[in-house]
Amino acid sequence: MTGSHHTPAGAHPAPALSVHGTGLGEVTVAALTAGGCALLLFVNEDCPTSALAMRRLGPLCRAWEQAGLSSTAVFEDPLDVAVRVARRLGWTGRLASEDPPYETSRAYQLVSVPTAVLVDRAGTIAGTVTGWDHAALAALIGRAGALLGAGLAVPEATEPLLKPGCSSKAAIDPELAAAMSAPAGTDDIEEMFERGWTDGLPVVPPTQDRVEAMLRGCDGRVSLGLVPPDLGEATLERVAACAVLAGCRPAYFPVVVAAAQAALDPAFNLHGQAVTTQPAGQLVVVNGPVREAIGLNSGMGALGPGFRANLTIGRALRLLVTLTGGGMPGKLDRSTQGQMGKVAFCVAEDEEVSPWEPLHAERGFQPGQSVVTLIGSDAPLSISDHRSRTPEDLAWVLAWAAASQWSTNWWPLEEPSVFVICPEHAEMFRAAGWTKQRLRQFMFEAVHKPAAELRRGETTPFVHAADPATQVPKWASPEAIVLIVAGGEAGRYSAVLGPCTGMGSQIVSREVGSPWPLTM
Amino acid sequence: MAADYVSPIDERVREPEPLAPRPAAIGGRRVVLIDIRKNRGAEFLDRIEVLLQAAGASTARTAKEIFSKPAALALIDEITGRADLVVEALAD
Repeated sequence: MTGSHHTPAGAHPAPALSVHGTGLGEVTVAALTAGGCALLLFVNEDCPTSALAMRRLGPLCRAWEQAGLSSTAVFEDPLDVAVRVARRLGWTGRLASEDPPYETSRAYQLVSVPTAVLVDRAGTIAGTVTGWDHAALAALIGRAGALLGAGLAVPEATEPLLKPGCSSKAAIDPELAAAMSAPAGTDDIEEMFERGWTDGLPVVPPTQDRVEAMLRGCDGRVSLGLVPPDLGEATLERVAACAVLAGCRPAYFPVVVAAAQAALDPAFNLHGQAVTTQPAGQLVVVNGPVREAIGLNSGMGALGPGFRANLTIGRALRLLVTLTGGGMPGKLDRSTQGQMGKVAFCVAEDEEVSPWEPLHAERGFQPGQSVVTLIGSDAPLSISDHRSRTPEDLAWVLAWAAASQWSTNWWPLEEPSVFVICPEHAEMFRAAGWTKQRLRQFMFEAVHKPAAELRRGETTPFVHAADPATQVPKWASPEAIVLIVAGGEAGRYSAVLGPCTGMGSQIVSREVGSPWPLTM
Repeated sequence: MAADYVSPIDERVREPEPLAPRPAAIGGRRVVLIDIRKNRGAEFLDRIEVLLQAAGASTARTAKEIFSKPAALALIDEITGRADLVVEALAD
């Protein structure tokens, strides 16, 4: 470590910057001083004094920017490291990264980091402070304030007031610098947690090789659009990175891409689903030949654990929303309680057991097409019925299980309830010759109550306005009842998934792998 | 530290939008009140509108299509064309 010291202001022009920024434009001294003055804080990841400086100065950067002082942490590390470290330390200013042999650090004659350099409006170095020296930094910020004619906040004078910095990578032997920048042999699974590239479970590190294999010939630069809520761009490379992180095999990738395409359709309103206080998950229903081709389970335990394709495809979509889209729980995702369907929820319909046309055929696709359908949904509620001996009794039990969805008194429900009918229940309807439409109509007509019984707590404007004797149905129309078949051959347990309500979210379907591969 | 990973995150950072300057007084200003269509938001705006008018502002009302989607650009353009100030009623 080197000692901290204060270099008096000189009249030297600030050397040109040879760095990468996080923005779209080039990072130049002229751009950084366009609003007034610029503070360059040279740092590197391995230096505790750099971390101290970023933690102490970081929270002030936004206010400085408003007053005309741009502040940029210039890392002697790769940009992804800079982003991660800055996020961890609460740095709110700009970021830049320089590659070996650290030409910018050399041009600024750095000996150690952190080094703070103040550049005035004319592009002249107005002061430099090396190491953590509270008094000298306060004076430097004061000088910036004087140049701008503004009062700038300075960090609190808390211990340590003085802390020596560490060697700049530009000031040491290049081979040693390269060795310092090499992976430190840390656990790469833990590294993923440190980067925040996780949903809370361990992930598969998205190495270049794995992502390339996942792309299966697609051009990683192809964009599927912007992912709400933070509008990160869903390049195929990032979608593939999410699929790798989730644990997908490359064979699953066309299904993940179709799910992403459906999720990004504005009609799905992913924005609302991603940030709502509701427990809104994104249910992925898969139909067609791809189910067998990639080993999706539609049989025993169809809604639960045990099958890689189901779990990882659903998880890949959720990682896209949380990582690329920035919809992280507790941050932009404001879901009050959440639900496990927000980790992963992918269901394959058992078309071979179902007595009815499959979901994708109902929605206008050919039975031989492979299709992903996305539905904004709440968690499943299991419905046990081992005793019904008529289709009417069974349909009544299934339908009334959904009576409390969203809220006990929120009738009628505009959004869909998704019933996952188990094979034994489906067989009872098949034997009786019930079509899907007949079942749907029966269920719709079965569940109604007089408005007077629904006027307690949260209820709809419709109920409030209705005559007390008016019979109010649970659903606005039979079409709000979605029926699919899945589950083990034994056991009379079906399930119903509640809706994501009040968002105008539509059900959206996309064909899998059409076209493929996706290229620019 | 390994640069070998493909980031799932769009690392581009949008510059923070500066707050518009706050007016010293609202007398004579044109104020648009936006109802985002959250439950009871309109009641809040009713009360605010009375206070604004009492303070000498002229007011107009508008609404988003639905609370859960960003406002349409056309609506934003329309508001900026006829308002000095905007008040938005948020969650219920």
